[in-house]
Amino acid sequence: MDSRIIASNLADLYKKAADKYESLPAFATRITALEWQPVTFRELYERGRKLSAGLIELGVEAREHVGLFSDNRYEWMLADYGIQLSGAVNTPRGADVTDDELIYIINHARIRVAFVENDALQKKIVRLRPELPELQEIILMSPKSEPLEGVRALEEVMAIGALQLEKGDKRVNERMEQIRPDDLFTLIYTSGTTGKPKGVMLTHSNMMSQMSVIPIDLACTDRVLSILPIWHIFERVFEVYTISCGACNYYTSIRTLGDDLQNVEPTFMGSAPRLWESLHQRILENVRSAHPVRRALFHIAYFLGHYYQESIFYISDNDLQLKDESKIKRAIFKIGHLIRLLILVPWYGFFNVAVLETIRKSAGGSIKATVSGGGALPIEIDKFFNYIGIPVLEGYGMTETCPVIAVRTEERLVNGTVGPPVPDTEVRIVDIETEEVLFPNKKHPHEGRGMRGEIWVRGPQVMKGYYREPEITKTVLREGGWLRTGDLGMMTFNDSLKILGRSKSTIVLSNGENLEPEPIEMVLRQSRYIEQCMVVGQDQKFVGALIVPRLDAFADDGIKATALEDLLDNPKAHNIIRNEIKTMMARTGGFKRFEQVREFRFLPKPFKVGDEVTNLFKLKRHVIDKKYEEIIREMFSAKEVKV
Amino acid sequence: MEFDTQLLYAIDEALLGIMILIIMFGMGASLTIDDFKAVARQFRGVLIGFMSQFGAMPLVALGLAIVLNLDPAFAIALILIGCLPGGTTSNMFTYFSRGSVALSISMTTASTIMALLMMPILLSLYTTGFTQQLSETLFAAGEVGDFVIPTSNIIISLCLVLVPVAGGMILRRFSPGWAKTAEDTAGFMAIIVILFLLGTLFIRHGDILIRTPWQLYASAIGLGLAGFFFGFWVSRLFGLQPIYQRAISLETGIQNGPVSFAIILLSFADTPVRDQMLWLAILYSAFIVMTSSFITLYYRKKGRFDWEVYRNTVVHNRLFGENYVTNYPEDFLPPRIAHDPSQGTSASQRR
Repeated sequence: MDSRIIASNLADLYKKAADKYESLPAFATRITALEWQPVTFRELYERGRKLSAGLIELGVEAREHVGLFSDNRYEWMLADYGIQLSGAVNTPRGADVTDDELIYIINHARIRVAFVENDALQKKIVRLRPELPELQEIILMSPKSEPLEGVRALEEVMAIGALQLEKGDKRVNERMEQIRPDDLFTLIYTSGTTGKPKGVMLTHSNMMSQMSVIPIDLACTDRVLSILPIWHIFERVFEVYTISCGACNYYTSIRTLGDDLQNVEPTFMGSAPRLWESLHQRILENVRSAHPVRRALFHIAYFLGHYYQESIFYISDNDLQLKDESKIKRAIFKIGHLIRLLILVPWYGFFNVAVLETIRKSAGGSIKATVSGGGALPIEIDKFFNYIGIPVLEGYGMTETCPVIAVRTEERLVNGTVGPPVPDTEVRIVDIETEEVLFPNKKHPHEGRGMRGEIWVRGPQVMKGYYREPEITKTVLREGGWLRTGDLGMMTFNDSLKILGRSKSTIVLSNGENLEPEPIEMVLRQSRYIEQCMVVGQDQKFVGALIVPRLDAFADDGIKATALEDLLDNPKAHNIIRNEIKTMMARTGGFKRFEQVREFRFLPKPFKVGDEVTNLFKLKRHVIDKKYEEIIREMFSAKEVKV
Repeated sequence: MEFDTQLLYAIDEALLGIMILIIMFGMGASLTIDDFKAVARQFRGVLIGFMSQFGAMPLVALGLAIVLNLDPAFAIALILIGCLPGGTTSNMFTYFSRGSVALSISMTTASTIMALLMMPILLSLYTTGFTQQLSETLFAAGEVGDFVIPTSNIIISLCLVLVPVAGGMILRRFSPGWAKTAEDTAGFMAIIVILFLLGTLFIRHGDILIRTPWQLYASAIGLGLAGFFFGFWVSRLFGLQPIYQRAISLETGIQNGPVSFAIILLSFADTPVRDQMLWLAILYSAFIVMTSSFITLYYRKKGRFDWEVYRNTVVHNRLFGENYVTNYPEDFLPPRIAHDPSQGTSASQRR
C-alpha cells in the first residue's frame, strides 16, 4: 500500500501531512522504557505555524538561514516546521558542535537567528557572542532549562506567534505560497573528512525528488526507529519520508537501543554500518554463549540459509556479477541452483521457522526492511543479515546529493553492491586521470560495465553548490550538472553500482603500489578483538595499522586491562592481534601481497566522534595521521631497522 | 484394507514411545503456570475455541466417516483423532500465520486438560454405531467378544501422556535455557517421527501407499482442512478479530498426533484393528504438516494488513497508555476492520 504524499516543497508537505494524517502520531519521545510522549501531525503543524508566525515577527526573512544546533528531539522537528513554514532555510548541526565550528558556521552562513538545544549550548553560544557580530536572536529548545539573559524560550516565540495568528496575521500563508522549487530548504555544513566545513546548498526540489524515489513502502501502521543524527541528510530524508507516509518516528539512542527494539517493534530502520556491525557482534555473542544444542542448531540454520539465499540470488540474477558470463553457462548454473533450492527448501523451511526467527526477534521481530547508508557495509555483515532473513537495503549517497544516488531494492538485492541508481538519476564511471567516460560508453565492451573509475552523478537530487565557495563548487560540480563524488566504483553486469573506496583515501606505497585502506579496515574491524582501526602506509614500504583493541574480548581470554594504556606493551595481546590479523585477512582472501598488514600499534585512546571520526564513524584520516604522527613514524622505522 | 503382517514391530513401538515422550516433554517445556492463568483472561476466545475443537471437529470427523463410507476401524480412528486436544505445533504455525499465539497456547493448554473429560464422552457418543458394526464383522470372522472402546484405558493413557508434560514444566521452572532447547528438539522430533514411520512402513510394506484406498487419504487430509475451515468460520460467526480467527482455525485443524499414537498403542489390544487405526493416525500426522504449512502461508499473506494494524495498536497502547486511541485517516481501514464490533478488548480498539 503506497500512500506517500507528493508535494511541491517541504512546507507544503508538512501541511498536506497534517490534513491527511490529522491525529495520528508523527513523533514519539522516550520518557521511560514503556512511557513515550506522542505528538500528532496536526499538533506539530499547528505549533509549527505558531512558531513560524513568531519567527516572522522576530524578523526572520524568507530564504534567510536560521541556525539549528541540536540533536534528535521532537523540538528539532518543531523548529524545522517553524523555519520551513516561514520560507526560511535551516542550518543544522549537532549538539556536539565545537567552538570553532559554531563561529565558522554562524558567521559564514550569516545566521541572525539560532536555535540551541540545551543549557550547555546556550552557555556556549552566549560566551562566544562577541565573536558572532551578526547573531541577534537565540532560542532555547529544551523546556527543562531556564533561558539565560538575551535568550528566548521556544514557548515564548510560539506565544508571540499565537498572538499574531489571533490578530489575523496572514504572513505565514504568504510565505508558504512564495516558496519556489529551487529555494534552499537547508544549508548543511559537512564535517568533511578533509579541510574546513563546506555549506551544502540543498533545495526543496532536491528533497522532493527523494520522496518519490525511495524504494520502501511505508504506511500509517509503520513504526520507524530513528537513531542517526537528524542534522545528517540521510536521517533527515528518512524522517521526512516517514512524515510523507504517515508513519511514526520513534527517537532512540545507542544506550537504549536494545530495549527500544523490543518495545517499539520497529517495522523499519535506517542506520549506519556501525549499528549493523554491533548488532552482528551481539547476535554472535548470544550464539557463542548459548547451549551447545542451540549453537549447533544455529549453525545448521545459518548453513541452510546461506545456500538457500545464494541460490535465490543466482536464480533471480541478483548475484554479484563482476565479470561477463555467457548466457549458456548461466542457464546451466541456474538449473543447478534450482535443484539445490528444491532440496534445501523443506529443511530451510523448518530451520527458518524454528531457529532463524528467534534470531530475527532479537532485532525487534517486525522489521520489514532496513537501509544502511553513510558508509560501506562490510560484505560479511551484509551477507549475514541477508542469510538470516533480514534484507539490508544498502544505499549510497552523500550530503551533496540529498543524499540517495543508488540503493538496493527488494527486487534488486545484490549483495556487495549499493544497488541500481534511483530513478531519474544518471551515473557515470569516469577515468580519474583522463576524465574519459568509461561507463556508459559504447566504445567499451558491455558499455564499460566492470571498469573502475570515479563515480559521477547527475539528477534532481544534486545540490545547488557550496555556499559562498564558487571555486570549490567548480571543482566538484562540472558543466552539464555532473557531480564528482570522489568515490571509486564500477557498474556490475547486472547494473548495480559497486563502491570501491574513496579516491582520496588511496594509499600509495613507496614502491608505487596503490591500495584502498577501507576494505582492509573493514576486515580487521570484524575481529572481536578490534574495536576500531586505521590502515596507514602512505609512502612507506608496507602497510601498517593503528588499532584500538576491544578490552572485554581480551578480558574473556584472561588478559585483564582496565584501560587501553594497559595493553600497549602487553606481549600476549600483541600476539593475539598478530595472529588475528593474519587469520582475518587470509579468511577473506583476495588481498594482494603488498596489501597485507605487516605491522601494527595499539592506540592509547579510542577514536572520538567529532575528533577522529565523523558522526557517521568515517575516519578523518588527516586528523588521525597528525595526532599519532609519532606512533606511525616509530612503527615504520622499527620495521626498517629489523629488515 | 487389511494388513497381512504386523504394521509396527516392537522396536518401532519402543522408538515411537520414546519420541512421544520427548515431544510431550517439549510441550511441557514450552508451558508455564502463567499460561494456565492466561486461559481465564482469554476466556471468551478459549470458549469459542473449545466449541470449535470439541463441538465441530468430532462432528466433522463423524460426517467424513459416514460420507466416505469408511471401514469401522478407520472410522473409529478418525473420530478419535477428531476428539484429540490441540498440538503444540499449532502454536508455531499460529505465530507464522500472524495469529494470536497467546490464544493458541491457552487453547492447547485448556484442551489438553479438557480432553480427559471430553474424549471419553465424545467417543462413546459418536462411535457406538461403528463399534457395533466392527463387533459384527469380528463375530462373522469367528472371533469371540464385542469390540468396545476401552474408555478407562484411554483416560489412563491420557494421564500417562501428561506425566512428561508435567516434567517439561518443571524443567522450564528451573532452567528456561534447557527448556527452550527441549522445545526446539521436540518440534524437530515431530517431523522426524512422521518421516521415520513413513520410511519404515514404506520399506516393510512397499505397496502400502498404493493399497490405501482414496477414501482414507481423503479423510486424513479432509479432517485437517475441514478443521481449519470450521475453526475460521465458527470464530468469525462469534465476531472474533482476524488474529483470533486464524489462531482458532489452526488450533482446530491441528490435533495432537503423538497423543493419538499413545492412546492407540496403550489402550487397544494388539490386533489388525489397531494397526488400521494407527495407519490413519500416521497419515493424518503426515498430511497435517503439509496442509497447515500451506494454510499458514495463505493466512500470513491475507492477514498482513490487519496484523499490522493490530500490532500498531498494541505498541501504541504499550507506549502511549492503555487508553490511547489510534485514529487512522478515513478510508485507510477497510470497512471490515473498521466496523468490526469485536475490535479487541482494549478501549482503543473499540471505535
